Amino acid sequence: MHYCCNTHLQHEPFEFSIHPSSGVPIYRQLMDQVRAFVAGGRLKPGDMLPSVRQMAAELEINMMTVSKAYARLQTEGLIEHERGQGMRISEQRETGTLAARREQLKPFIDQLVARALQLGLTDEQILDQVKKHLREQRP
Amino acid sequence: MTDFAIRTGNLWKNFGSTQVLRGITLDIPAGTVVGLLGANGAGKSTLIKCLVGLLRPTMGKSELLGDDSLHLSAEVKERLGYVPQDIRLYSWMTVEQIIQYTSAYYPKWDQKLVEKLITNWDIPRTHRIGPLSPGQLQKLGLLLAMGPRPDLLILDEPVAALDPLARREFLRSLLEFAQEESKTILFSTHITSDLERVASHVVMLKSGEVNLYEELDALKDRVKRVRIVAEGDFPPSFEIPNAVQIEVTGKLAIATVVGADDALVSLLKQKWTATVSVEDLNLEEIFVELNSQITPRA
Repeated sequence: MHYCCNTHLQHEPFEFSIHPSSGVPIYRQLMDQVRAFVAGGRLKPGDMLPSVRQMAAELEINMMTVSKAYARLQTEGLIEHERGQGMRISEQRETGTLAARREQLKPFIDQLVARALQLGLTDEQILDQVKKHLREQRP
Repeated sequence: MTDFAIRTGNLWKNFGSTQVLRGITLDIPAGTVVGLLGANGAGKSTLIKCLVGLLRPTMGKSELLGDDSLHLSAEVKERLGYVPQDIRLYSWMTVEQIIQYTSAYYPKWDQKLVEKLITNWDIPRTHRIGPLSPGQLQKLGLLLAMGPRPDLLILDEPVAALDPLARREFLRSLLEFAQEESKTILFSTHITSDLERVASHVVMLKSGEVNLYEELDALKDRVKRVRIVAEGDFPPSFEIPNAVQIEVTGKLAIATVVGADDALVSLLKQKWTATVSVEDLNLEEIFVELNSQITPRA
């Protein structure tokens, strides 16, 4: 399911989405998405994240979950609290190197491959399906 | 000092010779949203009835908002919302009449919220209660419980009779309700996907005992499925520390492990010269793994 969150500032709208029934805790899904958006350059230093309340309402999840994700990202230094405005992407961070971005993708690939092998799919069938999804998702 | 909304100490409830609750001890802090899970007959409804004082425990005690469950003061009752599984309301009243009637008991009744819920949940305000469908009746029960904006909301299977759309609307309202920080919600359910969005904590009952009580996120971080493919067949003595389930077929072992971390993975890799992958489990899978009757292979 996709929800569109308009950031309350000038930035282009972007999508956060969560899958409550995936095994990954929702707060980690959110953290991964913010990291991915930053690594991929869709979120730039100085950009504001939606407020906790707004994010929780858009995604229909508990506010505590969003707070937890933000707090951890703050500890990591990826985002910082801007008084009276909310959370913004920190300045010092730059777009991740290709290697760093690949590293981020690794756990998901591990899961995908494990499940695909379990389902008895061939390498070719797996790659085909991934490519098909890429074609559908890329604008 | 932490403020507890619900406390029970070694709570037992027998029906004749059947022990339904067997020593329940729970401290639920104010401000949490707790999902109560358990197989049929695990004791969820009995626990809830003991909490709200509708059943007298055989032994042990239970407190809501600081009051003994069996002697709730008027102040605490004003701050408590409860919806039983089986909702009974005066069938001759109309929806509007029952709302007006109920509101008279609560000084802090929030008519604005009620009006909003009537619209969002599509409740027929002029209809008589008698002919309402089970789903409409459930919605009405929930509305009457939320109207006083209670500090503690206890719901027994609140979504059982609701269709998927109504469930979604209800969850949205529940989340809005929970946004006020001091609100505590305890609800029992079988629909784990609903719980995954809303709940901050999970209580799992198994045969009348608390099998598990922890933060939902922590639970998902902790319980994992580990898949191990070794070079040769595993010996019969094969075991994994903290595994709740192990299934071995030749050189493939699949285990559900509590606290699967990097250390365990590298240990398994080395010991069995194996490839090891760790998969996340969702709440339903965790529930099934922790409740299934198969005893772990020794």
